[in-house]
Amino acid sequence: MKQIGCEHEMGAVRALQTGQWTAELRQHVAGCPDCSQALQLAGALQAVARRADRVCQPPDPHWIFERSRRRTREIGLRRVSRLLTAIRIVAACYVVVAGGWLLRGFAAVQYHKVAAAMPGAPSRFALIGATVAAVCVLGGLLPILRQHAGRGSGR
Amino acid sequence: MAELGMEDASAIAAWVTPGRAQTATGEEGFRQVYEATSRPLWGYLQHASGRPDVADDLLQETFCNFLSRKTPPMDAAQTRSYLFRIATNLLHNRVRSRDDAASEEPADCGIETDEDARLDVREAMRQLKPRERELLWLAYVEGMSHAEIAAATGLQAMSVRILLYRARQKAGAFLRPPRVES
Repeated sequence: MKQIGCEHEMGAVRALQTGQWTAELRQHVAGCPDCSQALQLAGALQAVARRADRVCQPPDPHWIFERSRRRTREIGLRRVSRLLTAIRIVAACYVVVAGGWLLRGFAAVQYHKVAAAMPGAPSRFALIGATVAAVCVLGGLLPILRQHAGRGSGR
Repeated sequence: MAELGMEDASAIAAWVTPGRAQTATGEEGFRQVYEATSRPLWGYLQHASGRPDVADDLLQETFCNFLSRKTPPMDAAQTRSYLFRIATNLLHNRVRSRDDAASEEPADCGIETDEDARLDVREAMRQLKPRERELLWLAYVEGMSHAEIAAATGLQAMSVRILLYRARQKAGAFLRPPRVES
């Protein structure tokens, strides 16, 4: 396999940084075009780094630490709210299924006979009761559905 | 510049342990890690992105990500490499998500013609892609080995060797011949 670059290149760069040159390495670099070029480039880039270091003003670490804590809390809250949403969906499904099951049960009841057995109780009373129950179920579902729709459009 | 001091290294090693609590002690430990690594990271981000404002943003984001992740136990060198990895990923995400034309060209800030080295760094860097600038910086300023660069950039070590060689050749084309002293 063809050798790419020089194997002493990184050693020479490290020696440039630390100042720890060996006689062999110095001699090698003097005769190696790869190492000479790498050293020239490294020297120039390190000068750039020194200038960048002078202009760099990193923000207060306390601020970053607090920001990270806030973010961790937000992620935790988001997880909990996802769980609550799942529970609400399960609850809504339960209400719908239970409502359907109850209505089916009511439909099986022969209202005429019940009404006849209860003197003075109009059959209209049972109908009003069922309507109120349906309104309550729908009233409970609507805010959940609206909240979901709002979250979906907000993304 | 590339090597971490003994105090910095022990501060990072003491802090980067599993189950650390973000208490006042945790904050103090973080402060030491931050002070040891924030400037080199900023220099890297500024050089690779070409924009100091982007470097400011990404530096904060890098440390926020670092703090909010559950990291396995790491020594000082691994922590440094890990921070560079986060920074590199954030940099790439930014370049991908935005049509950031400026990222292709290094800014004036901190990058000027270096007469001492007889190398027009600015012109050389302008010709390089962000990935090439990253590799040159990590190798020649941070003094990372190919394996460390691979860990910091997510590339294969062999790819690092080849890409770094090409980047050096490309930048080397702008090297000026040594001035003859009279």
